[in-house]
Amino acid sequence: MRVTRKVWVLAIALCVALASPALAQQFNWQQAKGTQLRVLLNKHPWQGAIEPHLKEFETLTGIKLVAEVYPEDQFRAKVLVELTSGASSIDVFMSMPAQEGLKYVRAGWLQPVNEFLKSPALTALDYNWNDFLEKTRDAMVIEGMIIGPPIQVENTSLMYRKDVFQKYNVKVPTTLDELEAAAKALNGKAMTDDGQPGYGIVARGKRAAATSQFAAYLHAMGSTWLSPSREPIFNNEDGVKALELYGRLLRLYGPPGSENNHWYEASSIFSQGKAAMYTDANSLFPVIEDGQKSKVVGKIGYALFPRGPKGQYGSTVAAWGLAMPKTSKNQKAAWLFMQWATAKEQVLAVQSEKGVLGARESVWKDPKGMAKVPADLRESLTVGSKMGTPLWNPPVVADAECRDAIGAAIVVSIQGGDVKAADNKAAADVKRIMLETEKK
Amino acid sequence: MLRVSGGGRERVNPWTYVLLVLLLIPFLFPLAWMFLSSLKTQVQNTAYPPVWVFAPTLSNYREVFQKNPFFTFTVNSMVVALGSTGLALLLGLPGAYAIARYKRTGIALAILTARMAPGIGYLIPWFILFTKAKMIDTYSALILTHLIVALPLVLWVMIGFFEDVPGDLIESARIDGCSNWAAFLRIAIPLAKPGIVATGILAFIFSWNNFLFSLIIAGFKTRTLPIAVYSFLSYEEINWGGLTAAATVITLPVLLLALLVQKHIVRGLTLGAMKG
Amino acid sequence: MRHLGTGWSRFVERHPVPVFTLPSVVAVTLLMAFPVVYTLYMSVHSWYASSLTSPNFVGLGNFHRAFVSDDRFRNAFWLTVYFTALATALQLVLGVSLALVLNRPFRGKGFMRSIFLLPMVATPVAIALVWMMMYNPTLGVMNYLVGLAGLGPYRWVSNAAIVVPALAVVDTWEWTPLITLITLAGLATLPIEPYESALIDGASVTQMFWRITLPLLRPTIVVALLFRAIDCLKTFDIIYVMTQGGPGFASETLNVYTFQVGLFYFHIGYASSLLVILFALVLGVSLLLIKVRRAAW
Repeated sequence: MRVTRKVWVLAIALCVALASPALAQQFNWQQAKGTQLRVLLNKHPWQGAIEPHLKEFETLTGIKLVAEVYPEDQFRAKVLVELTSGASSIDVFMSMPAQEGLKYVRAGWLQPVNEFLKSPALTALDYNWNDFLEKTRDAMVIEGMIIGPPIQVENTSLMYRKDVFQKYNVKVPTTLDELEAAAKALNGKAMTDDGQPGYGIVARGKRAAATSQFAAYLHAMGSTWLSPSREPIFNNEDGVKALELYGRLLRLYGPPGSENNHWYEASSIFSQGKAAMYTDANSLFPVIEDGQKSKVVGKIGYALFPRGPKGQYGSTVAAWGLAMPKTSKNQKAAWLFMQWATAKEQVLAVQSEKGVLGARESVWKDPKGMAKVPADLRESLTVGSKMGTPLWNPPVVADAECRDAIGAAIVVSIQGGDVKAADNKAAADVKRIMLETEKK
Repeated sequence: MLRVSGGGRERVNPWTYVLLVLLLIPFLFPLAWMFLSSLKTQVQNTAYPPVWVFAPTLSNYREVFQKNPFFTFTVNSMVVALGSTGLALLLGLPGAYAIARYKRTGIALAILTARMAPGIGYLIPWFILFTKAKMIDTYSALILTHLIVALPLVLWVMIGFFEDVPGDLIESARIDGCSNWAAFLRIAIPLAKPGIVATGILAFIFSWNNFLFSLIIAGFKTRTLPIAVYSFLSYEEINWGGLTAAATVITLPVLLLALLVQKHIVRGLTLGAMKG
Repeated sequence: MRHLGTGWSRFVERHPVPVFTLPSVVAVTLLMAFPVVYTLYMSVHSWYASSLTSPNFVGLGNFHRAFVSDDRFRNAFWLTVYFTALATALQLVLGVSLALVLNRPFRGKGFMRSIFLLPMVATPVAIALVWMMMYNPTLGVMNYLVGLAGLGPYRWVSNAAIVVPALAVVDTWEWTPLITLITLAGLATLPIEPYESALIDGASVTQMFWRITLPLLRPTIVVALLFRAIDCLKTFDIIYVMTQGGPGFASETLNVYTFQVGLFYFHIGYASSLLVILFALVLGVSLLLIKVRRAAW
């Protein structure tokens, strides 16, 4: 009896094993052969990692790719301007739905891919949508529409100089209070290559750009952007405390002129060895560990963003993804590209070659995928992605304007002004902007 | 010190030259600094106090050209600048002549208002227009947009130069049976040639340097040099060697142009102001 | 055919002005017409660019908002005036002074003019980059130089208090040569008679300067000032590249603010009204200066 069952199991397993490659082969990658795709990419580590592989896509599918790359500010402006004109020829573009998704969806500019995903003719069976980390999948869904696949995941996390902490015998902070104490203790201590003193902490301060990183502090303190009824509440008591902390850290223990720093400047200061700690997106890992530009390669520790006084997690989960404009005339081909770029093979390549943090759990478990990623980064990312919040931006339509309004308050805090008044003003501004832009 | 230029053989005070050098240094310094930094390595560039004596290297230039299609950018800038300058001269020279000869200052002032309008006001409507006409990322679109700067410039400066053309010469030609058009073509233009050269060069330079319009109207294929430099800035923030190499590459053509024909340019600029 | 030919040339003969000026006028009109109409139309509407909503008429609502409730606008307006006044004043004083100093005989006037031209023709974006490097608080050469004089170090464009003057320095560096060159050209055409009679009357050098030179130069200088003022009010490149309006909003002039509102927030209606205001400002200043010049005659 047992032997027969075993035989049955073996037989079924054999059939399935034989069938799978056959099933996989049934997927027709060449179904859009001969089309040309216009793909807009943001100048970003992921783009840098996938570009050498684009020719493989062209060979596989017979689709010609025209990829345009712009630095972030220009990229966002270009996409926005083109979509607004209603006559854009963009087929695929990199998108952060948590930032501009709501606006694009409400404006009717995006083509949802729900149907593409469900169709076996258009999506390979081994694509495995559920392999993507849960929170990144959530991040790509806006009002029921799946915008596209996630290409990368990141948290706001705490990056710190292992060597500096060891040298001065300071404990790596796990709470916000410890964070401030560590910043104070290490500020002004020698920490560069040639023994020059550095800052306790560095972070973004540049208006809108700082908002996404401030989100971690905000949520760790126990506040958030909007109430369930979509009223701004980030200026409540906890929110003001978070804002005061952020400004205080940079003002007292950070570099002068922080209110001018985007991640370009902040990461530079950190990679030149001039700061002991850096709170920003851990997707910057390839940048700060760039052998050619960084002086602190191999000395960086990656920790979970410190928790708040009530134990809340602050680490935000953000995902870049690919999106398709409704006006694209090559939607099938566009979906094939979106699928290929986020298939397990490509995610593994991108992660193992350049250390770009892909969004697939299977790749995180694959030792090849983890070859370039330090163990503590993987750990903090895993925990952060599970426990964190996707709200690294206020979930509004007029994201740019609101981020600037909140950014203004951040600048006031850094400069040592009246934080509570600035926070209230920002909340009032956000409320006004929402009223103007979100009439349904 | 006040000196009415009486000409003549005055002995030149050697201290004048010292003074001259002292005064010129601040104006030269940033450009010299840009060039020197482009020859330094990363380590030398981030040294403080600054390094003044060092062994130069061309590695930054190599890097700039290898990593970016600077040749394409240069070609784009060239095409657009030549196109808009040529078009502006073609359209503007007859107009400037007529305004100068028949003293129609009204039209001149009207064109001046075109210069007053903020560039951004043109951008969004033009973008929508060009997108609908599928002209984004084409040379034609860029040339047309640069025209809004070049044409008023041509008119404004050439009015001054055409005013300098002696009216009697034109009158006698007309008496001899010359048509208006022929008088313009055969007498005014040759006499105003230095002005035309000056204006053309000025228009070329301003088109070459244009940032705002190209930022929005140019696409991937038609990116001009200022845009390329700006893109360099956001990602390569600390790479000063590369940045200054890129900056040098962009400014060198216009700097050389200016040096070659400074006489004409100065006349053009100053005339535009004096006759204004 | 011949009939048509003679007809046409007769027309050209009789009406030279329209024919000659038509190409320019048509070109400018075509290029400007749509933007002007569009901007005016949008300035009285409220519209966040999107394919689903359409602009809705708000009359003077945008303007009311700008002047009454928008702090950022008032900040931008004031900063624009501040920057323009500071930059043009600096350039005027420096430029004219330099011209007076250089108005003496020496060899190599051409060479001097060449050097002077360079800041004016260098690509603003590249210039902005270089100045950003020079202004760097920790590594920049500006702090080194002022340090030699015992001053600083300053944070320059990272310091909200001095960012506008720091930017004005860049603009001054770029354009003072223009004022100098124009003034030199003007000085070269001054008549001798007034000076001769003044010398006979026993006038001092200073008196001759204030009573003769300046008034005679005034029309020329005012025109130069006019152009510079218009350009300063609209300065975009160097501010956008160097500070994007920061730190915070400390250098956000009207032009930069309008760019943000229009091309980043895509609030087309409000941006259009801001453009109308900016244009009115430029027009107002221009008319004022033209009046001053007329008075000089």
